Amino acid sequence: MSGQETMIHQAPFPIETEQRQEKHGQRKVLSHFWRIASPIRWHLFLSLFLACVAALSNFGLLFLSGWFLAAAAVAGLAGQVVAQTFNFMLPSAGVRFFAIFRILARYLERIVTHDGALRLTSLLRSWTYARLAPRAPADLLDARGGDLLGRFVTETDQITSWYTDSALPVLRALLCGIIYIGVFACALPMAAFILACGLGGAAIAVWGLTRPVVHHLMAHAVKERAELQTDMAETLQSLGESLILGAMPARYNVLATRQQRLDKVQLQAATAERLAAGCVTLFMFITAIVVLVCATNALQAGRLLAPQLPMLVLGTLAAFDVMTVLPVARLASATAQIAAERLSEQCGDPDQKPIVKTSVPPQVPYDLQLKDISFGYPNAETLVLERASLSIQQGERVAIIGPSGVGKSSLINILFGFWPVQEGRVLFGGVDVREMDAETLSQFISVAAQDNHLFAGSMRDNLYVANPEATESDMMEALETAQLASFVASLPEGLDTLLGNEGVRLSGGQARRLAIAQALLHPAPWLILDEPTQGLDAATEQELMTALLRARPKTTIVCMTHSYAILKFMCRVVCMDGKQLHPFTGENEAGESKMTH
Amino acid sequence: MASSSVKRRESKQLSLLARRVRKWLTLAVALGGVSAVCLVLLFVEIARLVDDVTFRHVPLSVGHWAIILSVCLVLTVLAQFLSDIAGTQAGLHIVGSVRKEAMTHLANVGPVVAARLPAGEVLTLLSDGVEALEPYFARYMPAAAKMVVQPLVILAVVAGLDGWSLVILLCTGPLIPVFMVLVGYRAQALMDKQWVRMTILGGGFLDALRGLKTLRLFGRTADSLEQIAKMADEHRKMTLAVMKIAFLTSASLEFFASLSIALIAVVFGCRLLAGTADFRTAFLVLMLAPEYFMPLRNFSASYHARQNAMAATTRLLDIFSLPVSLGRHNKNIVPENENITSEKNGQSEQTKEQAVEQQAVVLVEALPKPHYLKHTCEVEALTCDQICASYDGQISVLEYVVCRFERHKLTVLDGASGAGKSTLLSVLLGFLQPTSGCVCAWDNTGKLMDLDGVRMAWVPQRPLLVFGSVADNLRLGIEDASLEALKQAAHQADALSFIEALPQGFDTPIGERGSRLSGGQIRRLALARALLHEPDVLILDEPTAGLDPASTQRVCEAIKRCTYGDKQGRNKQGRIVIAATHQSELLARADTVFRIEDGRVTEVLTCKETVA
Repeated sequence: MSGQETMIHQAPFPIETEQRQEKHGQRKVLSHFWRIASPIRWHLFLSLFLACVAALSNFGLLFLSGWFLAAAAVAGLAGQVVAQTFNFMLPSAGVRFFAIFRILARYLERIVTHDGALRLTSLLRSWTYARLAPRAPADLLDARGGDLLGRFVTETDQITSWYTDSALPVLRALLCGIIYIGVFACALPMAAFILACGLGGAAIAVWGLTRPVVHHLMAHAVKERAELQTDMAETLQSLGESLILGAMPARYNVLATRQQRLDKVQLQAATAERLAAGCVTLFMFITAIVVLVCATNALQAGRLLAPQLPMLVLGTLAAFDVMTVLPVARLASATAQIAAERLSEQCGDPDQKPIVKTSVPPQVPYDLQLKDISFGYPNAETLVLERASLSIQQGERVAIIGPSGVGKSSLINILFGFWPVQEGRVLFGGVDVREMDAETLSQFISVAAQDNHLFAGSMRDNLYVANPEATESDMMEALETAQLASFVASLPEGLDTLLGNEGVRLSGGQARRLAIAQALLHPAPWLILDEPTQGLDAATEQELMTALLRARPKTTIVCMTHSYAILKFMCRVVCMDGKQLHPFTGENEAGESKMTH
Repeated sequence: MASSSVKRRESKQLSLLARRVRKWLTLAVALGGVSAVCLVLLFVEIARLVDDVTFRHVPLSVGHWAIILSVCLVLTVLAQFLSDIAGTQAGLHIVGSVRKEAMTHLANVGPVVAARLPAGEVLTLLSDGVEALEPYFARYMPAAAKMVVQPLVILAVVAGLDGWSLVILLCTGPLIPVFMVLVGYRAQALMDKQWVRMTILGGGFLDALRGLKTLRLFGRTADSLEQIAKMADEHRKMTLAVMKIAFLTSASLEFFASLSIALIAVVFGCRLLAGTADFRTAFLVLMLAPEYFMPLRNFSASYHARQNAMAATTRLLDIFSLPVSLGRHNKNIVPENENITSEKNGQSEQTKEQAVEQQAVVLVEALPKPHYLKHTCEVEALTCDQICASYDGQISVLEYVVCRFERHKLTVLDGASGAGKSTLLSVLLGFLQPTSGCVCAWDNTGKLMDLDGVRMAWVPQRPLLVFGSVADNLRLGIEDASLEALKQAAHQADALSFIEALPQGFDTPIGERGSRLSGGQIRRLALARALLHEPDVLILDEPTAGLDPASTQRVCEAIKRCTYGDKQGRNKQGRIVIAATHQSELLARADTVFRIEDGRVTEVLTCKETVA
């Protein structure tokens, strides 16, 4: 059995696994993503190093200044002689050195960190894309459609911000904290111990206070947001109908309730985060005062020089600078954690190698055989096909008709292995399609799908998608056949007209014809057209089919269609009905009279 | 410059929004001020203690200082916490109310005009775009206020202590905003210049994900992977170019902050050495100096919150500047749970609408209630009188259309795709205001009647089924409809048999967009939903498109039945039924046929008449 099949069966459904994953291996999921970051490891280390240098120079600036002032005051009080022997130049140069260093380090840190974050985003996106591509489109659909793809974008961004907003500040706090404690230990071991307790206590307080946020609130917020978004999408899509049917007040109420619930969760999360931040301030001052008390004792016992006391107090206050971002870091970590879990559910364990199928090329003649196929979509109660068979020889032109929604488009999904068949075999050119990946098969079969996606970019870019080697004349020829040439000629920028948001929006019929032009550009002995003439008037329909046959007389053409008017262009008609594929006889069909061509 | 006036427009909108949450913001700022004062007091007390034990050899014992310290400390932390929470409240409140307003505005604008903005974009705006406003009100505004309050408090304290330090702080402090603005403008200009390119590059990943099936079918997956990496890299380079300048703003802040701390330390060092200054002052000023710059640092950290909010406002204004074309439907249906600040809502709403009106928008008189409740006499006919319509004000889609739709008759609009059938339906439904001419309703006595009193129902080309059961979908708009009523409507629409054949009947969940139903079943379900409202006018857009002959037959029969009514049903007089189609099955059953060609309407002989 091929890897793809098992993979799809294992494809987990988000809600079920969410709770399970929450219980064990929290860290595991996220840290696994760091394998992906290994190409830019040194970059990330550099930004951590710079972050530490910036924090340390800030500390150094205040610590040294505190000592410098006190020492100068002590010297000043001791009288002219001592004051003149006081080495003024070295500490003041040190102060200026730390000041300049702080500026430089902070600037560089920002640039390097953001560069690293953007590189990381790029790596994560490529990784996600590479994982998702072999499983599209089956695994990219969820029960309510829509936001799944947008989620991948948000999730990769959130995982990236784990590094900038969470990992980096935490590591910086840890490393700098150790250095601070070390510096304190040189002056007064007891003060170092107190600082260690203070920093540790603050960290524990932050950890404890934000615990509910990390565990429940964030997941809850993500869920509420997704639901609000789905409801908004639904409201917008049904705007016209809702208005006419008077359903808007009810929709508003649903949205208001959702908003309130989301607000409540967000307020709770903010409260926990701000409480933790308050705690850090509290710990900062308490530690400073305890250090002061301890230093006073040491001073009186003669274990400490007078200038060192202000230095230690100021140093304590400066040391807590690295702690203030920790509450936010915890929140960012929670968000990233959820994102990582969801992403790894969709893309599989980051540690696993993606399953690569070895592809066997089909043999001439390129005949298609469906042998006793049973097929149904996962989670659907009914099968689309049940022990159905069909055989199409190379060079034939076959129409597949049948009631709407019966699953004619599913044949493309079956053929390309986008969804696995439950029973039976599909052979193309004598090779089971399970032995081929979609990319291999695409060299032999060109498809104008109903849900063809037009990319943001020019019309030319979109035609290049079908065939990157196509020349200008190839393109014009394909557009001519697809009855779209005159439209393109009417555009001021012709083939370079931008499509989508930034440019021209095509009508349904135009988009379908562009899909046909794309399919014609893609060189293959087979051509499958799904509802090629939908949205076209009768005259254009006839012209299109005539031009198509003139342009591609030898090509095997399969048309899934509702339109009886194009059946005369075909050699054979297959009817898909009652989960079976059978030759069309014309009996008991409403379109019988139109079949006499 | 054009861009600066645009910026001014956004700033104005944001300050209008701020007015709505004035109470929360004032609270946040006031508490922030309290926290700042307590913080300074805390430092004063610590400086005194340090000075006492170091230079005055006063033994440290528990005294009233401990009380002052703990009170100040608790107050600082508490006030800051409450200030943050008040800010958060303000932010959340804004998000909720703007989202609600945008949604209401879109409803008032109607589906036809709203479709000028791509649906995905609108949705992103309503979710992420609106949320970008939250940090602005939650963090930026309080931070901006604190940036003024805290340095002033510190300056006041320093002024009372030491002249030299005051000069240093006074010189460096105000320079920072100046430099930040200078550099900020440069970064903004660079960003504006590359905006479109950056948006396309940034959206490349999502676009590729959306098109994965297409890419696979054309065997281009491997290439697109490279493409994504390339686009991400280009995006990174462009972003970094902007950031290198943008980060100079914070670098200039760092520069002045570090410089003044170093200056204070060195200058005080000299003076202490000379014995012309006392340690307590020096130590206090040194402790206060970082706090003097701290709010600036927080402010600059939340500065991108402002930029995000500005960008979001620009795009939100796209939604709010869509003209309100929908007079008939829900002008006055405001969401329930109206909040406390509704009064202020009204104010800024007005300003917004004034802005909209300036763009030559006709605001139509409001309706007190949802239209389907208001219903006094029966409509007999609808007429179109010299209607011209256009989507963008330039290319006219309908030109001087005159036609009449009568009760008890199936009227079919025929014509090639793109001829203007759907446009005429949009005008009849009130989704599109005609540029000239009007739609009139006549009652059975031949008098003109209020179009708002006419119960209309509509089955669009792609009826949308909401997530839920069959019954949920039928009850859209009439939540308390009885099962009996549902059954009757379903029966009329020929949907009862297939609904009852579903595993759970009316309670069967139908999946996203009715994925478990066939096209014909969806049409009949939508027809049943429309019929549940007992409309006088039923408007159908391509009711049989994409259906196989058998389904077409059934849908056509159902349409016929609701046109003429059935004997025992409530619908004795029949309805005005208007269907747009170019399929012969429905045309064959029509009583009146209007052909639309190049925006003009002509009546043609129906099949029935030809046969007769």
